[in-house]
Order: sequence, then C-alpha cells, then structure tokens
Amino acid sequence: MPRNIEQSFMKALFHGVIAEEMLFPFPEMSSDERENVSLLLDSVRRFFGANVDSAKIDRACRIPPEVLSGLKDLGLMGLQIPAQHGGAGLSSMAYARVMQEVGSLDASIAVTLGAHQSIGLKGILLFGTEEQKQRYLPRLATGEHMAAFALTEPGAGSDAAAVKTRAELSPDGKHYVLNGSKIWITNGGFADVFTVFARTSALEEGKKPRLTAFIVDRSAGVKSGPEEHKLGIRGSSTTELFFEDVRVPVENVLGEAGKGFRVAMEVLNSGRLGLAAGSIGACQTLVRMAIDRVQERRAFGRHIGGFGLIKDKIATMLAQIYALESMTYLAAGLIDAGVVDYSLESAICKIVGSETLWSVANETLQIAAGIGYMQDYPYEQLLRDARINLIFEGTNEILRAFVALSGMSGPGRALEDVARAMREPIKGFGLLSDFAIRKARTVLGRERMTRTHPLLSREAVLFEEHTGQLVSITEAVLRKHGRDIAEMQYVQKRVAEIAMDLFGIAACLARTTRAIERRGEEGARREIDLTSIYTGMAQRRLKQLVADVQDNDDELRKAVAVRAYADRAYPFDVL
Amino acid sequence: MKILVALKRVADPDNANKVKIPPSGDRIDTAGLEWKPNPFDEYALEAALRLTEDGKAPKARAGEVVVVTFGPKETEQTLRAALATGADRAIRVDVTDDKLDGALVARALKALVEREKPDVVLMGKQAVDGDSNQVGQSLAELLDWPMATFAATIQEEQGALLVGREVDGGVAVLRVRLPAVVTVDLRIVAPTSVYSLKTARTHKYNDGVRFAALPAIMASKKKPLAEVKLADLTADSGLKVQYHGFEPPPARKAGIKVKDVADLVARLKNEAKVL
Ligand SMILES: Cc1cc2nc3c(=O)[nH]c(=O)nc-3n(C[C@H](O)[C@H](O)[C@H](O)COP(=O)(O)OP(=O)(O)OC[C@H]3O[C@@H](n4cnc5c(N)ncnc54)[C@H](O)[C@@H]3O)c2cc1C
Ligand SMILES: Cc1cc2nc3c(=O)[nH]c(=O)nc-3n(C[C@H](O)[C@H](O)[C@H](O)COP(=O)(O)OP(=O)(O)OC[C@H]3O[C@@H](n4cnc5c(N)ncnc54)[C@H](O)[C@@H]3O)c2cc1C
Repeated sequence: MPRNIEQSFMKALFHGVIAEEMLFPFPEMSSDERENVSLLLDSVRRFFGANVDSAKIDRACRIPPEVLSGLKDLGLMGLQIPAQHGGAGLSSMAYARVMQEVGSLDASIAVTLGAHQSIGLKGILLFGTEEQKQRYLPRLATGEHMAAFALTEPGAGSDAAAVKTRAELSPDGKHYVLNGSKIWITNGGFADVFTVFARTSALEEGKKPRLTAFIVDRSAGVKSGPEEHKLGIRGSSTTELFFEDVRVPVENVLGEAGKGFRVAMEVLNSGRLGLAAGSIGACQTLVRMAIDRVQERRAFGRHIGGFGLIKDKIATMLAQIYALESMTYLAAGLIDAGVVDYSLESAICKIVGSETLWSVANETLQIAAGIGYMQDYPYEQLLRDARINLIFEGTNEILRAFVALSGMSGPGRALEDVARAMREPIKGFGLLSDFAIRKARTVLGRERMTRTHPLLSREAVLFEEHTGQLVSITEAVLRKHGRDIAEMQYVQKRVAEIAMDLFGIAACLARTTRAIERRGEEGARREIDLTSIYTGMAQRRLKQLVADVQDNDDELRKAVAVRAYADRAYPFDVL
Repeated sequence: MKILVALKRVADPDNANKVKIPPSGDRIDTAGLEWKPNPFDEYALEAALRLTEDGKAPKARAGEVVVVTFGPKETEQTLRAALATGADRAIRVDVTDDKLDGALVARALKALVEREKPDVVLMGKQAVDGDSNQVGQSLAELLDWPMATFAATIQEEQGALLVGREVDGGVAVLRVRLPAVVTVDLRIVAPTSVYSLKTARTHKYNDGVRFAALPAIMASKKKPLAEVKLADLTADSGLKVQYHGFEPPPARKAGIKVKDVADLVARLKNEAKVL
C-alpha cells in the first residue's frame, strides 16, 4: 500500500496508517518569519495596550474607528495575502500566531479581523483569477477595503446548500442579477467587498441546488440591516444583507459557476484554523487571570491556589491549552508543508479550540466566583465573548459529523471496492489485493509510532492501540450500517471524538519529542508533564467511547426525545 | 539632518523581580530576563524620526537616522525594531554589557561620531537598568559639542535646535548650535513636543512612540545593519567603574493601616521620625 494513500494525516489514520512523516519533526516557522512575527507582536501588544479598551468596546458595542484604522496601519489586514498583491505573505503558522495574539487581547477585534481575512477574502486567495486578485487584493491588504463572507440565510445555517439567494444570468450573458438576503454576516455593517453564495439553478424539491460564489462590491447595491444585539463579541458588526437586483459582472464569479459549495467549504476549512488560534490566545489570557487570582485571593487562611481543587483546575487548563496549541500549529504546519487536505485537522482544531476556550472561561469565572459574575470585572465578558466559537464557522455538531463521515469515507470506499470485487472478481482483483494488504496490516499488527522519544513510549503505545480501535470500530460500523451511517449520529459522535483525541495525542507527542530532543528531559519537563496529563485525560475518554460503541442507550435516548417532542415539555410536576 | 541615536537593550523593568543574584554576589544572573529597548532611548528614536520628517507624511525620511547599540548578537533584534519604525541604518558594536561603563561607551561613541559625522546625537537621559545618566554628558565633553539634557521639547531651526527642559518652576529653553548632543526625557513623545522645519506647527502627533507595522518590519530586513568591533573604535577599553559585589535590596516590610490623620502624624513623628 502506498504511503500516500491519503493526503491527510487524519484520513490516513482512519485506515490505520500513522503517517509519521507528517508529524515529525514538529513544524516550526523559519527563523526569519519568527523574527518578523515577534517584532509585529511587540507592536500589536503595545498598540492594544495604548489604544484598546475591551470593556468599553463591549459596552459601546463598537470598535472605535481610530482603533480600526490603527490596526490597518499596523498591516494586520493582509497577513496572508502574497507580497505581489500588497500583503505580507505570512505562512499559516505565522498567521495563526498573530491571530492568537489578537485573540488574547480582544475577541471583537479578533472576529473582525478573522471575518475579513480568514474567510471574507479567503475565497479570492484560494480561487480568484489573477485579474480578480489584482483588482481586489491590494486594497483588501491595506484595509482600505474590508471583506465579509456571506453564506448564512434564515433558512440556511448549518444546511448551507439550502440557500435561496438567487443569481440569474442576464440575457446578454454579461452579468448575474442577485436577489435575496443573508443574515448574521460579520463585518456586514461596513464591509466593501463580499464573498456571496447564491443559487444558480432553480429551486427543486429533493434536488441539490447549484451554488455559485461571487465577489460582490458593496457599490453594486448591497444594503445592510441594523446591527444585531448579541451575547458577546459585541464590538464586531453583525448584520443582515439585502440583495435587490444587484448586478454582478460574470468576471466576478469566484471559482467555477455551480461549484460554489466547494468554495465555501474550502474557505471554511482554512478559516477554522484562525478561530482555533484565536481561542488559544483567549485561553492564555484567562489562565493568566486565573493564576493571578488564586495567588491573591485568600480563604480559610490561605491563598485559594493552595487548595487541591483549584490546582486541579489550573493543571487541567494548562494541559488542554498545550494540546490545543500543539494541534493547531501542527495543522498549520501541514498546510505550510503543502499538504492539500487538512479539512479534518482544521475541523478538529475548531471543535477543540472552541470547547477548550469555553471550559477555560467557565473554570476561570468559577475560580473568581462572586467577582467573576460581576460586570465590573472582565471575567463575564470573556465568557460571553467565548461562546460564539462553538456556533459559527460550522457548529460543533455539524463538524463532529463531518469529521466522522469524512474520515470514514475512505475506509467506506475500500469496503465498497471489496463488495464490487466480489461481484466482478477479475476486474476487481487489483482493488481486492490492495484492500487485502491493508487489512492484513491492521490484523497482523498495528502501525507503529516509531519516532516519539522513548520517554513518551507509554503515550505512544496508547496512541497505537487506539488507532487500532479507530480502524476496527470504523470497519465494524460501516459493515453494520452501510450507507445508513450518514444517519447514525451517535456513532458519528463517538468516532469523531476518538479521532479528535488521537489527533491531540499525536500533536503532543510530536511537539514534546522535539522539546526533549532539543532540551533534554529536564529542559522539557513542562511539556512532558502536560503531555502526560493530557494523554491521561484522553485515555479515560477513549476508554469510555470505545466501551459505548458496544454498550449504550442510544435507542432509548432517541425514543425519549421523540416522546418529549410529542409531550412538548418536561412531563412531570410534583404537584 | 543626520541623527545618530544610541539605543540600549535593557532588562524589562516591569519584571525586575526576576533579577537574580547568585550566592557568590559577583554578578547579576541575566538568564530568564525579558529584554526590551531602554524606554528613554526609544523616545530619542521617536524624536529623531519626528525631526527628519514632515509629520503629515511620516513614511518619507528627510535626512538620515542611524541607530547604534552596544551588545551581543541578540541585540540586533532591538536594532531591527528600530529600523522597522523608520531608522535608515543600524550599527551594532559587538561587546557585552559587563565589559562596559558609561565612560567607555562615550569614548566609543565619540569615534563613531567622527566616522558618521551626524548633526545631532540623540539619546535617552539614562538607561533604566543602571540609571547612570552619564553617557550623553561625557560624549558632549569628549566631542567638545554643545549639549542639552532632559529635553522635553525640540524644535528644529536653521542650523540649531531649540530645546525645552522642564526645570523646577518652569521650562528652560536652550538654543544649541549644531552639531550637538541632546538627551531626552519622557515628555519628548507628547503630541506637540517635536517639530522639524517641515512639520506644520498645527500638527499633532499620536502620544507616545510609533509602532512598527508589518510591511516595514519585512522591509527592514533590507536595511543595512553593520557590526563593528569595540577595538576598532577605541584602543582603551579600560573601565572606570568597577563593581565589587551585588546584593538584592532588603525585602519590603509589610505596611500598616493608620486610624486617622492624627494617628498618621503621630506615627510619622514618633516612629518614622520624619516630622
Ligand atoms: C455572531 C455571529 C456571526 C456570524 N457571522 C457569519 C458570517 O460572517 N457569515 C456567515 O455566512 N454566517 C455567519 N454566522 C452564521 C453562523 O455561521 C450560523 O449561525 C451557523 O452556521 C449555524 O446556523 P444556524 O444558526 O442557522 O443554526 P441551525 O443550522 O439552525 O442549527 C441549529 C442547531 O441544530 C444543529 N444541527 C443542524 N443541523 C444538524 C444536523 N444535520 N445534525 C445534527 N445537528 C444539527 C446545530 O448544530 C445547532 O445546534 C454568524 C452567526 C453569528 C451568531
Ligand atoms: C449574584 C450573586 C448574588 C449573591 N447573593 C448573596 C446573598 O444574597 N447573600 C450572601 O450572603 N451572599 C451572596 N452572594 C455571595 C456568594 O455566596 C459568594 O460569591 C460565594 O459564597 C463565593 O464566595 P466568593 O465569591 O468570595 O469566592 P471565594 O470564597 O473567594 O472562592 C473563590 C474560589 O475558590 C474556591 N475555594 C474557596 N475555598 C476553597 C477551599 N477550601 N477548597 C477549594 N476551593 C475553595 C471557591 O470554590 C471558588 O472557586 C452572592 C453572589 C453573587 C455573585
């Protein structure tokens, strides 16, 4: 079986293949880029320190225009746009590091910058023609123009393919006419350039619509609704967009007409890493606040930091952040190394990033207790700001399903090949032998993790064993459910969570191995300890997940939910 | 106008609690310290940039700003930051801090000034690590140039600088003919502190120093950064100041709360004996 069976670390893992060459050595930025980024971060920190008041942004529900223009002057709007189009051409790792810093300083600003370049202009970067790039990127790079990404509609949130906004080709074939509306579009109130997804086929029941992506200038007639009032990230702009006979020249089709869904998915794949990176930064801010607080606050004659239950929270946070950071920079490094398919990795980073941040925000607020709940202190705002990440850029439910189904589709195809090979023995011989080899591998012995440092051998074995579990569970559920796997969400959730933990462990192992190789056991003590805690937590989860595959109450839960829908409420009252 | 700015890298004073002294007491342990440019030197750089531009178009430099530091290879990061904020060229004199004192730095700078021939040497009034406050004055003496210390404002005139210094009870204004040495104080980075001949008097700068933008950071890679050996600047590398030992300051004693003003006065009189 060829090593590059899948151009994705996680997809290969679903086949039982541990693509170590994608893990080791753990990626890092070039020294040039590291220096550039650290100089930039210095400017960013000082700029924020002198000019940005997050509590005020939250209260005023807006980012002051001077702040926005200061961010533009710092060159923060064109981070990944190539130099020939006026940007800084940063690598994905460097971009992530900058977004991490911004995420640690202010969530509304991080979301605004992310909507602009993680998703808003990303379509032009990934799919734009040279003309489109020359026309749009230079002004987007300086921030003279701001971008937004407009996919969601009232009837099309998670189900992006359900968009109703219609784009009709004019009789002369020179432009499309857009009609419809979008909701909850970040930067919607002021963006100048929109990546808009619209239907270019008639709405037919049961038929997949053809979506097309367009670059739409506000000046073409895009109208914005009023600002929404939100739980958090209140300084960011979130509005409806209205398209009423908006004429868009055919030259502004992004990618191929009818292939808009793919554009949307690719943009989001790459955007999700920016979100994960911002989450790392916010986690770091929170954990610093928590550490300060527990060393300051006294109860029962001691600093509360002295109590076991508080230490436990702090240690858990550190281990989770370490894993998240390792996963995010591993995924970013894979992109920089030219790996084309990082969709699973970035979806995992988004889920883990948003959920780690939510738990770190929650625990930090808990540690602060009474003051944590008060608006005079920053904790409650950080909690509110953190919440959005589990919802946008793909809800975590949708992304779990995606990780599982996309991960299992490779093995699924292989199984289909076997079935076909049985029916057509001669034609299918090649397929069968390929599968047989693969199968033999998983039976004869699991793939090995050979490049981890010996100090981490216990963790490496755990990784190998559970990779074996992932493969056999995948095969078992595919055999059992066949195509119906698409409907089996309980199974999907378990498979996704096994995959998430495996990616987390792999990333920690690769990074900690590098740390040990460079600094020795004592020098890498912190990394080793956090890896050990994270792997321990993952191990307990994995054990439960694997057990639940066999023994669960899935059917009962489904039935209870269905009955509750009929009852329309919680059914009891003690009266 | 050509300006030479001296820039020192110092241990971040906000993390002064990280300064450690080994039991031998013969040195300061610099491992684990965070480094940053001496704030007053950054103000000097900001003043130099303001003096060599039209405040309305700060990207175009009228004249030349050369920054120099004394330090090991790692201090090049400090110089690059300076280049990224607008300086044209940088020079690193290769030497470590423990081999320097104020007089030696002044001697080396004198040689450098003779090579570079700037119209003005600008520097911070002091470095926040040693707080010696010597180099500017010594350099002016060695060069036999006019000097103005603790500048709070600078206005460029034809062939001279008008320097405002905050003194007890007011502002003393000096006109120094060029070439000259000027050391700057905190207020030099206020919005209306520095005016070149090109900048309109109505112009207001942002308060504080400017921050390097990403495009400038990347472009700064192409700006010249030269390394010079200390021995090439001065044959005499002897030190006038010798350190005989280091010890940490005594730990602060816990404070007390006083009942009222009368209690405060009584304690100041009887316990502190300051009244
Ligand atoms: C502050 C903010 C900013 C936003 N910015 C943008 C933006 O810039 N551009 C843009 O295009 N959109 C943006 N959105 C929209 C965002 O992407 C959507 O809210 C998100 O995709 C979810 O869609 P929905 O809210 O319609 O929820 P729904 O799709 O209605 O989902 C409701 C619930 O059902 C679950 N669910 C849905 N389908 C399934 C399924 N198949 N299986 C299991 N569970 C399912 C979801 O996980 C969720 O819990 C923004 C939203 C917010 C709140
Ligand atoms: C909205 C609101 C309404 C309230 N209403 C009332 C009211 O009506 N009447 C009233 O009397 N009080 C009221 N309170 C106060 C509330 O009961 C306290 O906030 C709560 O008891 C926690 O105390 P604290 O905030 O001082 O936290 P702390 O006691 O400082 O605790 C901080 C953190 O340390 C942990 N901790 C403390 N000691 C230990 C230990 N020994 N071991 C392990 N962990 C420890 C805590 O669990 C917490 O996580 C209210 C608070 C709020 C926010």
